[in-house]
Amino acid sequence: MKQTMILLGAILASTSLTGIAHAETSGMRIALSNNYAGNSWRQAMLESWQKVTSQAVADGVVAAVDTFTTADQEVPTQAAQIQNLILQGYDAIVINAASPDALNGAVKAACDAGIIVVSFDGVVSEPCAWRVAVDYRQLGQQQLEYLAGRLPECGNLLEIRGLAVTSIDNLIHEGLADGVKTHSNFTIVGEATGNWDQATAQRAVSTVLPSLPEIDAIVTQGGDGYGAAQAFRAAGRDIPIIIMGNRQDELAWWQEQRDANGYETWSGTIAPGISTLAFWVAQQILDGKEVPKDLTVPYLTVTQETLDEAVANTPVGGVANKEYSQDEAIQAIADNL
Amino acid sequence: MTDQTLSASRLNIRNLPVWLWSFLGALLVWVLSFTIAGQGAEGMLVAALSFSVFTVMVGLGQMFVITLGPGNVDLSIPATIGLASAVAMKVMDGQNGLILWGLLAALVCGILIGGFNYLLIRLLRIPPIVATLSSSFIIQSVGISYGRGLQIKPPAALSDFTFSRFLGVPVLAIATIALSIVASVVLHRTIYGRTVLATGQNMRAARFAGLSVERTRLLTYVLSGALAALCGALLAGFSGGSSLSMGREYLLSSIAVVVLGGTSVAGGRANVPGLWGGALFLFMISTLLNTAGFGSGLRDVFTGVIIVAAIAITGTRQPLR
Repeated sequence: MKQTMILLGAILASTSLTGIAHAETSGMRIALSNNYAGNSWRQAMLESWQKVTSQAVADGVVAAVDTFTTADQEVPTQAAQIQNLILQGYDAIVINAASPDALNGAVKAACDAGIIVVSFDGVVSEPCAWRVAVDYRQLGQQQLEYLAGRLPECGNLLEIRGLAVTSIDNLIHEGLADGVKTHSNFTIVGEATGNWDQATAQRAVSTVLPSLPEIDAIVTQGGDGYGAAQAFRAAGRDIPIIIMGNRQDELAWWQEQRDANGYETWSGTIAPGISTLAFWVAQQILDGKEVPKDLTVPYLTVTQETLDEAVANTPVGGVANKEYSQDEAIQAIADNL
Repeated sequence: MTDQTLSASRLNIRNLPVWLWSFLGALLVWVLSFTIAGQGAEGMLVAALSFSVFTVMVGLGQMFVITLGPGNVDLSIPATIGLASAVAMKVMDGQNGLILWGLLAALVCGILIGGFNYLLIRLLRIPPIVATLSSSFIIQSVGISYGRGLQIKPPAALSDFTFSRFLGVPVLAIATIALSIVASVVLHRTIYGRTVLATGQNMRAARFAGLSVERTRLLTYVLSGALAALCGALLAGFSGGSSLSMGREYLLSSIAVVVLGGTSVAGGRANVPGLWGGALFLFMISTLLNTAGFGSGLRDVFTGVIIVAAIAITGTRQPLR
């Protein structure tokens, strides 16, 4: 009898021990609210999310992870979607937001309902939410740093903007403006809105190109560099230094040009796998861990030296990527504390 | 005698050919643009021609659909462009030898979508505007699940073809002008084309006259899907790869060029040359606004206002029926 009691106690102790290891969130459900899936970055982001979260569900870390993407890029659609997710009783919502401010009402409603909200990439400004992003402002400045090294004399720049009203577009634009202030021999002589999409960028650049003087370099937000190159080709103009954004088509084109005529440039953007970091951050918060509201992680760069490796490792139609494991996420959180 | 009075009354400014207005508009905006920029007149024209090709291609399909009469419109064009471009690039797989197969696959994809649209409209009795919009959501979702690994490069020969010029004029523009002439002949000289016009003027009357109205509607939606698919495949060649969002531009513009070009929104009257005027006008407008340095928000507002104004003016010029 006594022995059985001890045995039972031991079993109970051991189950509760394994429970402490990773079962605090095992009954919880997490949703992804994503506002756009039309370009390769978002496709890669969703793929990474799918891969890492389905493994997490299989491992019993969380009970369920569901992915919701709105078909358009509109704020109201996403706000309505978040309201739906609140009603469905998710424990956490991970968001790539259509707007930094316009979703705050819906986000606040989620927080008030006791739901953990983690935004990434396109972050929200509502204080109750967490934000996982790279330093986009610095990404803008870094483009000018690189160009200053390449074109010490001076240069005319064409700027390609991203999806209007997103936090990303604002920050990169401000970063570029800072960079031009520091390196005052550069002038932005033209602007086109490419929406991070090569076809849109090609069209937009084609409309401004005839009116522009010679362009020495194009500063971009990623996803638009290859389209810009196509526009220059269609217009029969020499292709300037185009800053790239880690897309496979951009990297492959760069490699092709390098082999043909020694073309040199620089590429950098946020890794699509940041969605998986946001997932682990949500899981850690649900687990009761202390996580700072703003997490900044390094962006992924590709240089002339790492180009071949990056092309080899990036699937056709994909984006140079890095996915996060739970341990790496815990490390990233610790780095930001 | 009556014929003479009629032609005499046409010698009036108000009765200039409808399509001429869109060309005059395009010309005016072009002159404004290169005056402001101080350069680039020729570059602007070539760029406008290169991009108008795609607008006209989908505009032709949309024109036939709209001409069918009130309520007929194809809103699935952008989604079709996105999906067909992805299908074409996947089938071509970057190899010159597979270009024809890729184009064929894209066309089949467009034809199926057109047929599906018609099924929704006919069998489920859904109004075309809702039917084509909902089918575009379905197409988009298919595209998203099919589209992993998008942006496959087009074969070099296809890409070179879309960029090639003959005597400074983009070859694709010449080909599309030829296509427009064919469309014009089909519209005015074939039983199918006349049936489209008759259906748009009065569907009941067309039916009583013994015309096969339903077969014509089916063919028209299929034609629109096929042209959108062809546009998608060529656009993927021109912009160096496919992407799902590639067609977004063409939702508003496919309808706008039809209306700007003098085709009656109420159906029953179509105008092929006007599509070119409308397409050139639209491209020149964005050239002008981009050149003048408007921010993206203002630019969208202006584009919208100009289109509304142009359509309103075009609308008041249509007294004769």
